[in-house]
Formats: sequence, structure tokens, C-alpha cells
Amino acid sequence: MKIQSQVSMVFHLDKCIGCHTCTIACKNIWTDRKGAEYMYWNNVETKPGTGYPTRWEDQDKYRGGWRLDQKKNRLHLRLQGKWGTLGNIFYNPYLPTLDDYFEPWTYDYQNLFDAPEGDDQPTARAVSMITGKYMDTIEAGPNWDDDLGGSQVYANNDPNLDGASEEERRQMQEIERVVFFYLPRICNHCLNPGCVAACPAAAIYKRGEDGVVLVNQDRCRAWRMCISGCPYKKTYFNWSTGKAEKCILCYPRLESEQPPACFHSCVGRIRYVGLLLYDASRLEQAAKAPQESLVQAQRDVIMDPFDPEVIAAAKASGVPDLKIEAAQQSPVYKFVKRWGLALPLHAEFRTLPMLFYVPPLGPVLAKMNKGMYDTADADSEGLTPMMSALEKSRMPLRYMASLLSAGNEQIIRDVYRKQMAVRLFMRAKTAKDVPAAEVEKALTEGNTNAQEAEAIYRLTALPTYEERFVVPAMERETAVEDLFPALDPVARNYPVHKGEVGIGYRRDPRRGP
Amino acid sequence: MLGPDSKGGWRMTNTNPMTIYRTHGRKLSIAALATVAGLWAAPPGAANPAATDAETGQRIFQEKCAACHTVGGGDLVGPDLKGVTAQRPREWLQRWIAAPDEMLAAGDPVATALLHRFHEVPMPNSHLNAPDIAAVLAYLATSAPGAAMAPATGAVAGREESTPALGSGGAATAAVGTTTALAAGTSIAAVGDPEIGKELFTGAARFRNGGPPCMACHSVAGIGALGGGQLGPDLTTVVTRLGGVAALRAFVGGSPTPTMSAIWSRTPITTGERDDVVAFLAQAALFQRPAQAMWQLAGLSALGLVILLAIIGWVWRGRLRDGVRRPMIAKQRKARS
Repeated sequence: MKIQSQVSMVFHLDKCIGCHTCTIACKNIWTDRKGAEYMYWNNVETKPGTGYPTRWEDQDKYRGGWRLDQKKNRLHLRLQGKWGTLGNIFYNPYLPTLDDYFEPWTYDYQNLFDAPEGDDQPTARAVSMITGKYMDTIEAGPNWDDDLGGSQVYANNDPNLDGASEEERRQMQEIERVVFFYLPRICNHCLNPGCVAACPAAAIYKRGEDGVVLVNQDRCRAWRMCISGCPYKKTYFNWSTGKAEKCILCYPRLESEQPPACFHSCVGRIRYVGLLLYDASRLEQAAKAPQESLVQAQRDVIMDPFDPEVIAAAKASGVPDLKIEAAQQSPVYKFVKRWGLALPLHAEFRTLPMLFYVPPLGPVLAKMNKGMYDTADADSEGLTPMMSALEKSRMPLRYMASLLSAGNEQIIRDVYRKQMAVRLFMRAKTAKDVPAAEVEKALTEGNTNAQEAEAIYRLTALPTYEERFVVPAMERETAVEDLFPALDPVARNYPVHKGEVGIGYRRDPRRGP
Repeated sequence: MLGPDSKGGWRMTNTNPMTIYRTHGRKLSIAALATVAGLWAAPPGAANPAATDAETGQRIFQEKCAACHTVGGGDLVGPDLKGVTAQRPREWLQRWIAAPDEMLAAGDPVATALLHRFHEVPMPNSHLNAPDIAAVLAYLATSAPGAAMAPATGAVAGREESTPALGSGGAATAAVGTTTALAAGTSIAAVGDPEIGKELFTGAARFRNGGPPCMACHSVAGIGALGGGQLGPDLTTVVTRLGGVAALRAFVGGSPTPTMSAIWSRTPITTGERDDVVAFLAQAALFQRPAQAMWQLAGLSALGLVILLAIIGWVWRGRLRDGVRRPMIAKQRKARS
């Protein structure tokens, strides 16, 4: 057992209102620079939809993530091996084009002031931030299909719908049954990152102390293999500096005990940040799990921070006490492991992403009966309409499974049952219109109890700032000293603790005379 | 000039009998023997330093100059130097031997005239220091008319004076005279095998001492469209350019240019190999480099480019040429219409 800690995230999709405040917070802090105009380290997508860049989930095109060689039981980058890297070193064929992101633009606002007198109202025409020329038609943007559930082009081409039946597709496009939800995305800071593995220059690394995946701007040689290697397309190439860039999880904020800017600014308070303790020695095994049990394998890697054995092992591998305490307070641990509500996005990419999503409860698929929605008919299991909503959800279970559980519908079903049980439990408590027996049945079906349902409710609906964001002091000073015993001039250059899943690079500070 | 010779002991001309024999041929053997006799008769204190000086000069001459020059052996790439000490001021000769490249660059009229007369092959700088130059001049002075060594007999002096006439006649050049006549390139089969020479040139056969094949640096007609290296000059017409087979042979044997000497001084060419290569080059001079060779080369390059592009196109056939979004939209539009 080799216990390490990682700063992890939970996004509660039921609470996301798609306002893009997180996106703007991130954009204003980090990517408001030349060469970074098209980048959104944080973006919010409408699902079903093709996302940003277009169809990023389609790994037949982009070749991101890992592929399991079942015969040899080995993981291979879907992109290429060492020889492939060498052969494609000057020309990576699987890059999204700028058009797949979008051509960034601004508006010629000055014209509103400077336009000569004429018959027409002056307008602010769109100006490309790439070419500087006027753009007559803007064809796409980073959230082009925003709020467009069921659209013929974008929603219909969502790769997660590839497995959907004709019936389901038709259903989802019916104007009154159209359904969509929002999917905010940042870098997942994976435990088995494809971008790190794909980099020929070894410029990307995962920080040992908090698991943040970073690009060393000194070492980056612009091969851009990380952009293909990341299945989430969350590394970007800055055309001005010629270096790859990605979400840094606002590590300067983390180091001063603040949550990242997108978390802090979130209007719907959907975001939770906290530490997870995981067993680094079992990562490979987890990444090689059969597809249907990938989610469970990843849950198994995450260790119970209250288990004395885990605590002892964590201390032995150099996790400071402060972090172990923070891991015990972590809202992420509760959502992901204790309650099993939060799921990794596209676990089948096998990168072990450390950003988890609580799936949204879609509206129920109801029938019109004499001008009224009829939800009264119970399903085969004899559950009430609320509980049977799963089978009748307008958003097919298969779709959610494709997105959040590597195709395992049972996991999604379990999560939904539990969420529904919490709803029924709370409705019985506040509205008092649900019979106790039904609540009891719901709790049993949801594999939960009153106490847990109450806790889930509180952390979902009423969390305070301190409950949502449990960021321990990063203790960079001691972390660095752990890596490089500071005052010993000989040992200084040799790391004592070497991060198992990433090595931090450090340069001595330049001091003035 | 030889004037001071009778006064300064160190300027005493070379009296080594073997040198004289080698340079002037059998006809001088009697004179040489007589000289030897005279020398041996002379007091050793006066003769020895001078002899050493001229001997050194001869050695240097063989090493550095013999590739292009003879003394009484006729013109090769450069002029026959017999009697040159009498023709040119000593001071000019010193400057010339020390830095011919600089003098040519400075536009010395005599040097320029010589350059034009002798195949436009500029004399390379052999980097000789002042004592070396003095030694070479001392050696050359032995061949000059009127260089009749004071201690030698009158008969020897008389013979020596008559030598230039023989030398300029051409037929008298014993060592290389026979091949000089073949400069026109009629046939030199008797001297070397052009087939072996070609193999040596192209590297099909190796030089015995491990020298690199000529083709590594030189090109010549008749070895395929792609030719050879571009470091050295094209050797197709080298025989006529250098003024004959004999000149070429001496040139190849001596490797006078800095580049060639850097290579061949470590891995010397043997006499037989030299003759073979020269025979090949003499033969190569018989035909011109065919004009279509250039077109062949261009054709091969174009073909190579096409093959390369085909490979690139195949290897990277899966690239996202138009991105993902545009084809997606186009497909949707097409499906609807």
C-alpha cells in the first residue's frame, strides 16, 4: 500500500444552471492572453451535444486515452507507441483543427464611435482574433450548441448517442420531450494521464504533493502529442508562445488554501473540492480493469481516510497529518466513495480521472392523458412513478452510462435510485405527502438510510463554503523540503521522496544581490 | 643568382650524386660521377654544410614540389624548374615559394602570366618556412646554368650547361618523357589499367593503404548519372586541364593540394594504383559528360519526390484534414437535401 493524496473535485450536475460564470472566471485569470484566445481551460457544454472541441469524445478521430491490450494485459496509448511518436514527431496527424475549437473573435466596437455620418446605424462587426479580418459569418463558438437539446446537427452527433436506438433518438428530438443538461469540464488531473504519457519531451508532470498535472513551460517542445494524448482535449497549444498549456487547478490559489477560481465563482455552488487518499500501488491494476468494472476499480483505489491502517500507510509515505485530516473532511470522499453518487467522466478512456460528476436527474418521460401528464402507472417492479422514473427517464440510461460509467447501466441505476430516495425522503419530511412505507421502500431500493439521506441532502442543498471547499494548507515549504532536504548541500540535488505518479521540478529561487 | 656561390660556403650547390642521377638521368651519370669524385677530393669542411643544405632542399622538393614540377624533367602541371634560379630574382622566388596564393591575389604580373601559361592551376601554398625555402632554392641552384660547382671539373660544368637544351627538347625527360607524349590521350594502356582505375575511382576496389575512393570527393563522366562528390573538381577533362598524362600522374602521386595531401599523406597511393587511376582518367577524357545526365538526375529527383510524397500521403492518410466539425455539418446538410 502506497498512499498518496490528490486534490479532487466533484461537480453536482443537478445544480448546474449553465451560466458559464466558471468559464469567465477562468478565462479572465488565465487565458486572456495572446495565443490563448481560443482556449477554455474551463468550459460548459450542453449535453447531448458535440462539445468543445467538436466531438472530443470520438477517440477514433482524436486518438486520446488508453487502450487495453487484453491478450498481453498491457495498456497502450491509443495515439501511438514510441516508434509512432518518432515517426509523427514533426507532424501529429490527430490534432483538432482550430475550426473544431472555434475561431476566436471580438467586435469592432470602435466603429460605433468613429463611423462617419450615414443613413445606417453603425454596427460593431465581428473581427477574427486570429487573422484580424472581419468575419462575415461566425460558424461556431466554444458553446455553439448551448441550450440546444435535440438539435439536428450538434445534439444528434453526440458520440454518446452512438449506441442509442432509433426509437430513443426520435424521442429525444420530439419538441416536447427534448432534454438536455450541462456538463462543465476542466482538466481531470487524472491518476493515469494520457497527456503525460504522450509527451516526447517529458514536459508534463503530475505534482507529487497534490496531484495537479502541469506543463513545464521550459521543457515543452511544441510536439503537441499531449493534445492528442488527452482524451478530454484539455491540453491546448498556445500559438504565440509555442507551448502547451492546460488547467493548472489554480495551484497558486490552492497553495494559499483557496479553491480554484471556477469553484469559487460557481453560482449554482455545484462544485466541491477536497482531498482523496489513494493507493498508488494499485493504479495500474485499476486502469486495466474490464470496462464494466472500471468505475468500481477506481472507487477501490480510493482509500478510507478513517481506516487506521490507511492512516499509518499515509504517514509512512510522507502524507502530512494536515492532509489526512483534510481527507477526512473531504466532500469529494463522501460523494465518490461513501455515497457512491459521483462518477468519473468517461472512465473507459482509462486515465482514472479525478473529477467526478453527480449525474443529473432528468425529467420523467410522461404520457399525455386527457390533456394532463399521467405519471400514475407503476412499473414492472411495482415502484411508484417517482422511483420508476429511471426506466422512463427522458434521458436514456444508456446515454448517462456512456458518459459516466463506461457503459455500465447498473451503476447509473444505483445512483439514480439513491438520489430519488433522498428526494422522496425529503419530500416526506417537508411536504408530508408521501406515505412512510413508500419512503421506507425507496430508501431500501436506493440502498441508503434516513441518516445518509439527510447527509446527502445537506451536502447537496445546504453546504457552506467550508463544507464545499476543503483545501488544506499545501505546506509547500515542507513538501519541497521533503523532496529536497534543503540544508544538506549534497542531498539537495537528489529527491528523497519521489512521487510515484509524477515528479515535481524545482528551480532554486533567484535572489537579488 | 649564382654569383655569391663561389663566396658563401652554404650556397654551395648540391652535389649529391644520386640526386643528380635521378633528376638529370643517365646522361649525366658521368658528370655526376665526376662530381662525386671532385667532391670527395674537396676538403670536407667546405663541402659538407652546403651538401646538407641542398640535400634537405631536395628532400623537400620531392615531398612538396615534385607533384607539379621537375628539375630538367620537362613541364608537368607546373614549369620545369631547371635553371629557375638564374631566370628569376632570388627575392621573388623566396616570396613566391613562401606564399604563392598571396602573390596571385596581389596580382603579381609574372605570377599571373605563369598561371595563364600553366593550365590555370594556381600553385598551392606549401607552408614552407624561410630555412626550407632557402634549402629548396639551394637545391634548384644546382641545376642552374653556371652552377658549375667550383670544386667540380670544367667538363661537368659544360655538361650541365647543355642540359637545358636537352630538357626543353622534351625527348630527354627520361623518367616521364614517354608518357608526356601521350598527353593527347591516345593510349596509355601500357602504363595502367583503366578498368582497375575505374574500380579504384568508384570504390568498387579499395586502395591498398586504405585511402578513400576518388568518387567520395570528385565526379567524372562515365560513372553514372548521379556522379560523385562535389568537394573536389569534376575530373572529366583533368588530363587536358593539367597538361597531359605525365602531369596528372605526378599530381596524383604527389597530392599537392591541402585537401588531398591531408588525406593521402596518411594513406599514400601506390605507384600501380596511381597509374591505374590516371589511366582511367585519361580514358574518361576521351568522352564528354553526356548532356542528358543532368536530365537523368532531375528525373531521378522528381521520381524520388513523388515516391516520398506518396509514402507521406499513405502514412498520414488518417489525418484530420478538414477537422471534424465541417465534415459533420456537411454530412448533415447532404442528408437533409
